[in-house]
Amino acid sequence: MRKYLYIYKATLIENLSYIANILLGFINFFIMIFVFVNLWQYIYSDSSQIINGYTMEQMIWYVLTTEVLWYGSKNKVLLQEISNDIKTGNIAYNINKPYNYVFYILSKHLGEITIKLILYIIVGILIGLCFIGPIQNFNFINVPFILLTLILGVLINSILRIIISTISFWIEDSTPFHWVYDKMILILGTLFPIEMFPDFLKPIIKCTPIFVVTYGPAKLLIDFSMQNFTQIIIAQLIYLVVSILIVAFLFSKGVKKLNVNGG
Amino acid sequence: MKIIEVKNLNKKFKIKEKEKGIKGSIKSIFKPEYKTINAVDDISFSVEEGEILAFIGPNGAGKSTTIKMLTGILYPTSGDMMVNGINPSKERKKLAYTIGTVFGQKEQLWTHLTPYDNFKFFGAIYDIPNKEIETRIEELKTTFELDEFINTPVRNLSLGQRIRCEIVASLIHKPKILFLDEPTIGLDPVVKENIRKLIKQMNKELGTTIFLTSHDIGDIEKLCKRVIIINKGKILMDDTMNNLKYHYLNKKIIEVKLKEKVDLQDEEGISILKAKGNNLKVEIDITKKDMADVIKLLDVDKIIDINISNIPLEDIITSIYKDAKALSI
Repeated sequence: MRKYLYIYKATLIENLSYIANILLGFINFFIMIFVFVNLWQYIYSDSSQIINGYTMEQMIWYVLTTEVLWYGSKNKVLLQEISNDIKTGNIAYNINKPYNYVFYILSKHLGEITIKLILYIIVGILIGLCFIGPIQNFNFINVPFILLTLILGVLINSILRIIISTISFWIEDSTPFHWVYDKMILILGTLFPIEMFPDFLKPIIKCTPIFVVTYGPAKLLIDFSMQNFTQIIIAQLIYLVVSILIVAFLFSKGVKKLNVNGG
Repeated sequence: MKIIEVKNLNKKFKIKEKEKGIKGSIKSIFKPEYKTINAVDDISFSVEEGEILAFIGPNGAGKSTTIKMLTGILYPTSGDMMVNGINPSKERKKLAYTIGTVFGQKEQLWTHLTPYDNFKFFGAIYDIPNKEIETRIEELKTTFELDEFINTPVRNLSLGQRIRCEIVASLIHKPKILFLDEPTIGLDPVVKENIRKLIKQMNKELGTTIFLTSHDIGDIEKLCKRVIIINKGKILMDDTMNNLKYHYLNKKIIEVKLKEKVDLQDEEGISILKAKGNNLKVEIDITKKDMADVIKLLDVDKIIDINISNIPLEDIITSIYKDAKALSI
């Protein structure tokens, strides 16, 4: 465990010198939030209106939370580094060390996104408070529970991304699969809560990663209930265990297929 | 004691082949064609503990593939190998604790960290207690003379300083075997000499077995007592450095400056390499022609200056590579 903590720490230190880059990324975030605040304000002709169980404030806070998670946890380590490592054979220099490559990548990724995610959370809260106002019935006692689902959501999302990247062992490029996953999370899990979808789609979406990665933490933030929390945390734990098993299986199979020429 | 044992090791790669042009690309989507390459073809050898072995060959010979199999990165197609009593394909992680690797063309250090932080990082990776890491860094810092730049980020170091740090990082966990893949590539002669000295010292003081691949003949000549030459996946030669030189040292090069032109022709045991004005460069095979006879042919009275030398090791190795090509092994 100590070694992974060290990898995490080393990456975190490195990223401290790139805070300016993170700040530049906020431009995109502000535009998205601006569009959605206006869109929902337009859809909710009356601010007291309730659509599918959501008030306008809840809806905008939902989008704000999922966008924070989306922007704050997006990172090149999972999207490009693993695939590139496999394609170029660079992975060879990582798998001959006494650590698990998957955990190495995960520690590195978490080290890269920690500062970014914290900054996005702070900025997200500030935007929310300034433009929409505080969340109704929000209780600070719930914060540890929400944070726990948020961390697990980020972790599960990372492992799913690693699973997608390991496809590079078999086909040359895993980018199209990342694209499909991106769009699924973005359209079905970021812009609208599950309740907005037709009834027949709801149970399907609840089984997808959307439920544990974005919907879960965002739903708990705007409308906390112990029943929801239990449901989400159980789903997250199942996802976590299954995804770890899948990634371990795929990686052990993939490494045997590795072709590293020259160098 | 044998620290590395390899028996009938094979590695086959399946490589996709594609006909030229767009037509070929489309065809390869529907009907991909593959060809199999024997990157390593039934090789067997062993390495004794504490030995410095040169494992050399031209590009694409199978050197790196062999190293990658020995370090557990690649799985062999068939054959057996044991490194420090461990099967690399089955216990890669366990093996990693007992070996070190340095790839001259690949940075293993984290460039934004200082060498000191890197060593601490590598220490943590190899589960060495903090106190022990400090002592180890202190020892290696002195041996490798890192004092001047141990707290400078790696990205700001010169290539020579970086390679020194790479070697130290690979030694932090006291490995029994060190795999050096072209450690002196791109270095200037002074730094090269320094690195060689350190490698030799490390072998002597710590008893580390060294498995070296290099295209630099100087590395091989100055460090290794034994050499394995590999080409097209097969071992061409596995012999001591002394034997290698001895077998090829029956050829001598004579460079001579004469008062006037001498009519010397190619004949058995003599081949003219260069003739320009009154200068001659001749290769003599002393098993076929005595040196005294050649000098007589040149006419002693006409010689202004003469230099007799052995064939450089570089030429010897090149000719071994070429012979193998001619025999199309």
